[in-house]
Amino acid sequence: MAVELEVVAKEVRGWLRHNVVGERQIPDDYGLIDEGLLTSLQTVELVLFLEEKFGVSIDEDEVSEDNFRSISAIAALVSSKKESGDGAA
Amino acid sequence: MRPEFTLHDLLSNSTERDPGKAAIMEGAASYTYADLSASADALCEALLREGVRRGDRVGIYMEKSWESVVAMLAVSRAGAAFVNINPLLKAPQAQHIIGDAGIQVMVGDLNKLSSLDPSTFRSVFYRGAAAPWQGGGCSVLALDGVLAGSGDGGAAVAVTELDLAAIIYTSGSTGLPKGVAVSHRNLVAGAQIVSTYVENTSGDRILSVLPFSFDYGLSQLTTALRVGATLVLQRSSLPGDLLRSLRQHRITGLAGVPPLWPLLLQSRDSLRDEPLTELRYITNSGGRIPGPQLEELRSCLPHTGIYLMYGLTEAFRSTYLPPEEIGRGPDCIGKAIPDTDIWILDASGHECTSGEAGELVHRGPTVALGYWGNREATEAVFRPSPVSPLGLNAEKVVHSGDLVRRDDNGYLYFVGRRDELIKTQGYRVSPTEVEELLVSSGKVREACAFGVADAELGQQIVAVVSLKEGHNATVEELRAFCVENAPPYLVPRALCIHDDLPKAPSGKLDRQAIKNAYSA
Repeated sequence: MAVELEVVAKEVRGWLRHNVVGERQIPDDYGLIDEGLLTSLQTVELVLFLEEKFGVSIDEDEVSEDNFRSISAIAALVSSKKESGDGAA
Repeated sequence: MRPEFTLHDLLSNSTERDPGKAAIMEGAASYTYADLSASADALCEALLREGVRRGDRVGIYMEKSWESVVAMLAVSRAGAAFVNINPLLKAPQAQHIIGDAGIQVMVGDLNKLSSLDPSTFRSVFYRGAAAPWQGGGCSVLALDGVLAGSGDGGAAVAVTELDLAAIIYTSGSTGLPKGVAVSHRNLVAGAQIVSTYVENTSGDRILSVLPFSFDYGLSQLTTALRVGATLVLQRSSLPGDLLRSLRQHRITGLAGVPPLWPLLLQSRDSLRDEPLTELRYITNSGGRIPGPQLEELRSCLPHTGIYLMYGLTEAFRSTYLPPEEIGRGPDCIGKAIPDTDIWILDASGHECTSGEAGELVHRGPTVALGYWGNREATEAVFRPSPVSPLGLNAEKVVHSGDLVRRDDNGYLYFVGRRDELIKTQGYRVSPTEVEELLVSSGKVREACAFGVADAELGQQIVAVVSLKEGHNATVEELRAFCVENAPPYLVPRALCIHDDLPKAPSGKLDRQAIKNAYSA
């Protein structure tokens, strides 16, 4: 069963608020990496969070600028995981 | 073949040797040495038409790209000095550099330039779809258009190796970032020295992950140019992107700072299943790799020599540990680089005995010219050599402010800093920069920032602030302000609001007391 995009996006927004940006509002298509908001190490921390939260497994080679460029892109990646049956749950 | 005196001599020689050789790769694009030379000529001529003269400082504020490489070499050929501004910097930090270096001509990305005040510039070359400003009073030119034309190669301005080639901004233990003024001699000597000990050849394919605004990041470009190797430009250091580039381009040399290695090790399974047989060497500088991580790198990269190095922008590079000595452990920084003396001096200027910690002092051809526009700081760090021959003017040596010790075999080990300088994610940060950032929010009365040891970051930044009377800010609000107005590495990992910060009898903040109370 796929996680809905919006559910993932909401968690990512919450994680960003708590770990990176504070109360600043980030649009879903905002360039997280292009704009220098997410460092590489923070991205890896976010991957661990997503894996735990949604019981999915994200391969190292999927941890790329393309997949993590925006909240929408991250949501699409995680949601596709469940659909393809990669998840643990 | 000409002698190597200037940065652009390195380009000219490699172009003459093999004009069709790939010099720069970016994504799917590949540019030969002839392409690089022709594009640098075209931009050099445009810079001269815009009135750039010998010794002028030209800013480069853009993402790592083919154009950014062309810009550095064009500025060099025009007899001017380039100032690379880290693309992560936001407008307040960039404006500081622009003002401090007296930059009137800029080459930059549209989205970086548009955040700046055009009135300070005379001419601007932009990369992007549209001009960054309407009006603004300065000459605005599209970089694409300039590079589409071709130079005839006759425009280069004659300079000596002693001329200013670049200003590299870096932080000290206090104040805002200072510009380290670097000569052509410094850059060329650095390229000669490094390419000698990592044994670079024209067959190397070097990955450029670090920003060109770092002396260490610039070094991959200068060494590649010197030997006629191929430099592969890499913006993303995310594990998937990093491994893809290493494999796809069959990279032979990779230079990194400590935060890069855990990102590479994320791919440990893939590295073990399918080893990187062509990766000849990796180099580390800008901090220590934690012991267990170093062990894992050694086991995941069995075909790769690991060079542990130590350097500071003021002297570029001081020491390296050859790969065969890697067993000496993560604190070992090796011995002096070629053509260089490294001394360990005690407080009275005498050489320390083995085992005794003292300040690392550097003498050699990579000692920079000084801090741009800052005589006081220059005199404090670039001091007369204690061993100049009788009757001669003393040459300048760099006092690093870093404490090291030497063992009985002459190997050096890093001990610590003498002052408040914070080293985080490979960046030097002064507490002042973080404190002024927080105060500039308008809500903070006083701030105290310091570094706390962190296995992955080197140090992480902690800031304790008191609020202005009648102001009511939360930690989240202050964090949002920092993220908006500063690069990620300047944003404190931990922020605390404390109403009454302890004071020393002088009335100044008691930094040590605050640090002690909040370090836990």
